[in-house]
Amino acid sequence: MLERRSALASATPYVSGSLSIAERPGFSLTQVAGVEEKIAAVTGPLPEKVARAQVNGALTIFRIGPAQFWIVGPEMDDTASRLQGQCAVTPLSNSRVRIALEGAPAREVLSMLIPVDVHQTVFTPGTVALTGIHHTPVTVHCTGETAFDIYVMRTFALNAWEVITDAARAFAGNP
Amino acid sequence: MSFRRLAQGGRIDRRRAVSARFDGKPLTGFSGDTLASALLAGNRLLVGRSFKYHRPRGILSAGIEEPNALFTLGDGATTEPNVAATMVDLVDGLIARSQNAWPSPDFDMMAVNSLLAPMFQSGFYYKTFMGPRKGSWMFYEPFIRKAAGLGKATDRSDPDRYDMRHAFCDVLVIGSGPAGLAAALTSGRSGARVVLAEQDSEFGGSLLSASDAEHEAWRISCVEELKSLANVEAFTRTTVQGLYDGNLAVLVENRSHLRPDARKGQARMVLTQLRARTIVMATGAIERPLVFSNNDRPGVMLASALRSYANRFAVAPERRAVILCNNDTGYDAALDLAAAGVAVTVADHRPAVSAEILARAGTKGIAVFPGSGIVDVEGTKGVKAVKLGGAHAVTVECDAVGMAGGWSPVVHLSSHGGIKPRYEESIAGFVPGGFPSTHFGAGAMMGSFGLSAAIAEGANAGASAASAAGFGRTRPVYAPEHVTDRSYAILPSWTPPQEAKGKAFVDFQSDVTLKDVKNAHQEGYLSVEHLKRYTTLGMGTDQGKTSNINALALMAGYRGITIPEAGTTTFRPPYAPLAMGAIAGRTRGAHFRPLRLSPLHDWHARNGATFIEAGLWKRAWFYSWAGDRPETAYVKEMELVRKGVGLADVSTLGKIDIQGPDAAEFLNRVYVNGFAKLPVGKVRYGVMLNDDGIVLDDGTTARISETKFYMTTTTAQAGEVMSWLEYLLQCHWTDLEVEVASLTDEWAGMAVSGPKAREALALAFPDADLSNEALPYMGCRDIAFDGVTVRLLRMSFSGELAYEVHVAADYAISLWEHILKAAASTGIKPYGLEALASLRIEKGHVAGLELDHRNTLDDLGLGKMAGKEKDYVGRALRFREDCQSPERWSLVGLELMEPDKKLRGGAILFAASDEIKGHGRGYITSVTWSTELNKFIALGLYTGGLNHVGEEIIAAFPLKNEQAKLKIVSPHFIDHEGARLHA
Repeated sequence: MLERRSALASATPYVSGSLSIAERPGFSLTQVAGVEEKIAAVTGPLPEKVARAQVNGALTIFRIGPAQFWIVGPEMDDTASRLQGQCAVTPLSNSRVRIALEGAPAREVLSMLIPVDVHQTVFTPGTVALTGIHHTPVTVHCTGETAFDIYVMRTFALNAWEVITDAARAFAGNP
Repeated sequence: MSFRRLAQGGRIDRRRAVSARFDGKPLTGFSGDTLASALLAGNRLLVGRSFKYHRPRGILSAGIEEPNALFTLGDGATTEPNVAATMVDLVDGLIARSQNAWPSPDFDMMAVNSLLAPMFQSGFYYKTFMGPRKGSWMFYEPFIRKAAGLGKATDRSDPDRYDMRHAFCDVLVIGSGPAGLAAALTSGRSGARVVLAEQDSEFGGSLLSASDAEHEAWRISCVEELKSLANVEAFTRTTVQGLYDGNLAVLVENRSHLRPDARKGQARMVLTQLRARTIVMATGAIERPLVFSNNDRPGVMLASALRSYANRFAVAPERRAVILCNNDTGYDAALDLAAAGVAVTVADHRPAVSAEILARAGTKGIAVFPGSGIVDVEGTKGVKAVKLGGAHAVTVECDAVGMAGGWSPVVHLSSHGGIKPRYEESIAGFVPGGFPSTHFGAGAMMGSFGLSAAIAEGANAGASAASAAGFGRTRPVYAPEHVTDRSYAILPSWTPPQEAKGKAFVDFQSDVTLKDVKNAHQEGYLSVEHLKRYTTLGMGTDQGKTSNINALALMAGYRGITIPEAGTTTFRPPYAPLAMGAIAGRTRGAHFRPLRLSPLHDWHARNGATFIEAGLWKRAWFYSWAGDRPETAYVKEMELVRKGVGLADVSTLGKIDIQGPDAAEFLNRVYVNGFAKLPVGKVRYGVMLNDDGIVLDDGTTARISETKFYMTTTTAQAGEVMSWLEYLLQCHWTDLEVEVASLTDEWAGMAVSGPKAREALALAFPDADLSNEALPYMGCRDIAFDGVTVRLLRMSFSGELAYEVHVAADYAISLWEHILKAAASTGIKPYGLEALASLRIEKGHVAGLELDHRNTLDDLGLGKMAGKEKDYVGRALRFREDCQSPERWSLVGLELMEPDKKLRGGAILFAASDEIKGHGRGYITSVTWSTELNKFIALGLYTGGLNHVGEEIIAAFPLKNEQAKLKIVSPHFIDHEGARLHA
């Protein structure tokens, strides 16, 4: 029986009273590219800008380039198969690890990681940033006032985890 | 020659005593003291020795411009040299040491340098130590460096933590003096996001050193309002070190006073990359010293510093101070010192002083000598008296001298963008030469030295900056009711009334004297840039903050030109010294660079792999089952693959999804060989060129369906190939309907190689038909195993019967373990990168070491692959004359002829008759022990290449003084017919 194993299976957990940093598994990620109308016919409305996520029911859609989108859905999702033939469909569920950052210090920690204005008046819920952490590309999605999902490349995931938790060390429990 | 703590006053908290150590002895003070003020309060005037002459030196200033009082803080691994005592908060446990003096500043053996001073004039070492023969400088240099210099850094790892953060704002206000406070308030009241950065430990700038209660009340109200505004962030101990394009400001906050604990994630310094829409510079001004004989004696200070120590730190000269000035601001210090009970004499270079000032001085009992200057200073380790010259040639006994030579606006940051400062005659100083539309200046940095002017300018600048950032409405900031702008009235007098007898210093930190500047002029160094390099004036940790204008003025005087004609040197970041750790931030140790791990990494780590870094990847090098030494383990692993079957992690290969109706045409253009007619279910090896005709990368591409391809690239070029494909589609072939996506992280790859590979896979996937007919050489198939798609590609890097098994990355370890378990009867074991790379050398496959962006298809023996009829990227330039030269270095196989010797990668190749010298005729790219031939073999590049097959040549490795005889052979050492591949 083949079993899935997370890229963060050997990561040291981060423990803090004020900040949660944890992997948020259980999602599907599909990259699609092609004619927007054809894609939208299956997924619902697409985000108009790179900087905003579009939530259509269980799907969250990021615009990642000209006529290119990421569709994040539940782990068992048939959107990819419904899009086959309509556009270029590339399953990427294994390629990214989703790290959730949540708590009052989350914005401060993010400011130590990405060259993006994460002020609460600017990086509001629904905002997306295609940016980089420690020289590797990441997608950061603001999911709440103090909650963020960071999609990191699988092969850099452990490194990103260590960099993120190191940035947040001041908020961690006793060393 | 002594100082004392005043019984009352100051901004120190006398209820909170602080205990530190200086030069191994206790040093006490109060909270609010700096290290400098505590030393002065303890009557410690002599604190160090000068850079070159080892002259006794004391504290000159009360700010960031301090050239003399530089100490080494901390000890052991936390040692930090060259820290200005004026910028260090006195805190419990602080350890400081003086520098450049042995055994102590009081008794310094190297003070003998002062006696040899005539030898040590500027440029002496350029002339003296160049001979008597070539290379002499190398002999002298260590002695010179030991005799002269500042503090010594530790070579131990810094245990402190340094953080880096990004920030954004609408208005950045630099400096919190009256202009800065006003600017922050007006911009803050507009609703703009404001950052106020102050290098001092408190907000207020010059107001902190003043004595007016009304001004202090205004300061407090400003600070309180700023703190109440949610849209304003105000930082103390934060220096703006540089301004860069796009309004990027680099701020460094020093939190050393908090005694941060790195283990708890507390940073000693925080570097902020702040991107601001607009910037208000309210950086103030720095007072200049005056140049006269022995003006460097301990106790000779800037007048503003004497005022600051008296008013802010409650420290003053014991009995009498002499203020030497050429402008009205010197009287601020004189009046405040007098108010603190110090007898004051003023020597004023100007022949006439205003009646109003004379009247105010008179009421405080201050003696004023207009038209006078200091001729000389008596005392060595402190000031005993000064001799005045000019209109009043008298000797005045005193404890201290305050120099008020005028003010130099701090224009450094305004110059970082490349705008040269402009000389303003009316203030005898440089002001910003201009601003970009989003920069504003206010207060003393603009040459406005009055308080009400500074507040008004600051308020306007803040409002303008907010407006430029898109915020319209604000409320004005009013100055305190009784504020007036006292006069400045500077007389630009740069030299003493008569020639100095002792050394008259222009630059204290670099030990540059009046005579040095004169000598530089006489030697023909006319440009200020040359003056700087010749004399070292303006160098060092203070970068000439107190010396630049005096030096320029002197040089201009010698040349008979004006100061603007003489020009000024260039200001560059950082504005002030900062710890290297602040620049490195958290990017150190394991976080120095990103680390990339295969989806199989955890298995390797648990099962005896020794790792090696390959680019950003950490890869399994060899496994413990084969031994604990790489030089023998990889040979065992090679034998496993040649005789049985091995399993290797090839997940690091680049993997690219290529889809679309035009995908085949796209690949046909990208690769030199044909891909248009590649059948579905087949894989093809391909090579792609850059448009300059040089090989970019090789790899394979499998056709999954009519419109879908699966490309693999080398590990090293994965990112570059992906970018290259996107570039071609987006910029050159926009008509092609093709989409590309990286699958490198999505799929894991494992190579099953060896004569028993098919047997092993059949055991692992019993339901799949893996026969030669069903999956022939260079065939590919997707199978479903346990509900998971597994992609089988029959291709070989090792030269043996081999397959690559690709699977979604999350399943990689599970599938890897399944193959090992299911095929255990075949003797399958893992093999690592060293064996992987060695097997391909035996087969003659090129890899990263040969694909180094310098070689052509023909250099690598791949010229015949290229399609003759079709076009492809790089075709045109591939045939340029140089690329077709028969003398190019091209790929050869090499066999070692001397069994007792060793071959090394990088060895230089020479013909047998050549003198072993220079770059030779080529070099070895890859080397390995051949388990098949039982000897060392190699791949190399050699001029003329395979035209020399059979020749004996020499491989030289000069680093180890080794030479070995080789024979040039075909690069394909095994299985020329390819029988094993097709087995």
